[in-house]
Amino acid sequence: MALLERSAWYDLARSTEWTPSYISEDELFPPEMSGGEGIPAEVWSTYDEPYKVTYREYVDVQRQKDEGAYSVKAALERADLYNNADPGWVSILKEHYAAVALVEYGASFQEARYVRWSKAPGMRNMATFGMLDEMRHGQIQLYFPHEYVSKDRQFDWSHQMMWSNNWVALGARHFFDDMLMTRGAAETSISANFAFETGFTNLQFIGLSGDAANAGDFTFSKLIQSIQSDEARHAQLGTPLLQMMIENGQKAKAQNLIDIAFWRSYRLFTILSGIPMDYYVPLEVRESSFKEFMEEWIVTQFMKSIEDLGLSKPWYWDIFLRDLDEHHHGQHLGTYSWRPTLWWNPAAGVSPEERDWLEEKYPGWNDTFGKVWDVMIDNFVSGRPEKTVPGTLPMICNVSQLPIVGTPGRSLKDTSIVFEGRKYHFASEVDKWIFEQDPERYKHHKNLIDRFLGGEIQPANLDGVLEYMGLGVVSPGGDDAHNYAWLEAYKTALAPAG
Amino acid sequence: MALFPISSKFDGDFVLKLVPVDTDDTMAAVAAAAAEHSVGVHVPDQPGKVIRARAEGAADPYPLDMKLSETGLGPTDTVEFYFE
Repeated sequence: MALLERSAWYDLARSTEWTPSYISEDELFPPEMSGGEGIPAEVWSTYDEPYKVTYREYVDVQRQKDEGAYSVKAALERADLYNNADPGWVSILKEHYAAVALVEYGASFQEARYVRWSKAPGMRNMATFGMLDEMRHGQIQLYFPHEYVSKDRQFDWSHQMMWSNNWVALGARHFFDDMLMTRGAAETSISANFAFETGFTNLQFIGLSGDAANAGDFTFSKLIQSIQSDEARHAQLGTPLLQMMIENGQKAKAQNLIDIAFWRSYRLFTILSGIPMDYYVPLEVRESSFKEFMEEWIVTQFMKSIEDLGLSKPWYWDIFLRDLDEHHHGQHLGTYSWRPTLWWNPAAGVSPEERDWLEEKYPGWNDTFGKVWDVMIDNFVSGRPEKTVPGTLPMICNVSQLPIVGTPGRSLKDTSIVFEGRKYHFASEVDKWIFEQDPERYKHHKNLIDRFLGGEIQPANLDGVLEYMGLGVVSPGGDDAHNYAWLEAYKTALAPAG
Repeated sequence: MALFPISSKFDGDFVLKLVPVDTDDTMAAVAAAAAEHSVGVHVPDQPGKVIRARAEGAADPYPLDMKLSETGLGPTDTVEFYFE
């Protein structure tokens, strides 16, 4: 059967639209679901997606992508990566799949909300493909780790994590509920597609892809390249909306949405990308430091896309640049110290050679974070392992849900406010500013410490906290990835003379 | 006499820590409780030195014999601890 050329029908199909006569416009597109208030009705139909694709073309390309990723997986299963890869790399896989797979599935609901609620017909059409993308990402990133579950129960977190009360899950749910699930379609697209996906998925999916190939994990490298090729496409959903908002007098609102989403994305990625890139990836295969990846993908490329639209860098830009030298190092110290709360086995990443690398990439590391590691290393080599896991909990930020950390002796501080009689603690001035943008949105949430002090976690001790978070339930908690072999160099160095 | 949580910012540490103390504790006892979770865990000990406590950002420490209930601190307020 002869097919029409795409150009003969595409514009008509993608802009299918109607004017409601039995119900009002607001009933068809409730403002709380559709967002974009203040943009004139006639403007929505001008939304012009930056790529054009038909369903037939989409299915064909996606089939080829799946074929590529699944065939590499099948071919390399016999290589027994689990037993042959560096344990630090295996930890990256555990962290990644659990933190990403179900979030991707959740993102299909985000896209589905555009399909139904977006007032722009072109966006509804484009989001249909985005929705299918995210289903694929959820499914493939559950299927790939499944082969490891029989070898290591910690891989079961790939499916369990987002249903748990693990502290990382609390942070991830708070972030993604804020960015993906609870704003109007127009606003969500700016927060999630433009700020989050355009900038930060590159960091994880392209940044780690090179490290994966260098580490010999071609399956993971191929998988995340395949996913990123979808992300790069549907991330563009937000740009036409941004242009529409700016052209219709809503530049300040657009800037505000980006400023909130950018900081929240960055802080979450210090855990997901920052720690693995600078501490877990085996030293001999590291391509760049987290800071270098951030400078390339975020500081240079993402900021250019913001400025091309006539927007500005976020108001906290100087704070952000300083933070690149600090925050993820504190979070690594925290995750390693409280390693029983993790579903993966963290690599310490602080052998003498690795410390040289850290000092080169982050001048001053040895005199700050390194001094804390010195105390921990002394405890390990002196036979005091019980002193290497704190006997209490860290204070947690009421926005990011991450421990409140800083550079020792320099930038550790509490930022707090009292709102309607309740005290809230924040990990930075920016997190506090985000809370103050919309206290009604954030005020009800209880972080892990609020729950602990409120009696929701029983017994009210570390064992009770671990069980509450699913450790010892879904799988054992984390321990050193290399079984402390990295301490040998220190034992030799610290051995008594003679 | 009541259990009272504070946030400990111990000089040299990298993270704020939740420390349970008692409203009847002296600030010397509060400092000792905070030290238990930082000194020798994430901060090197400084034998012979006294650990002092002050409100975050304050210039002067609380008297060592002052009771926590007399400081005006609220639950989860952050207290700075440092070797004198």
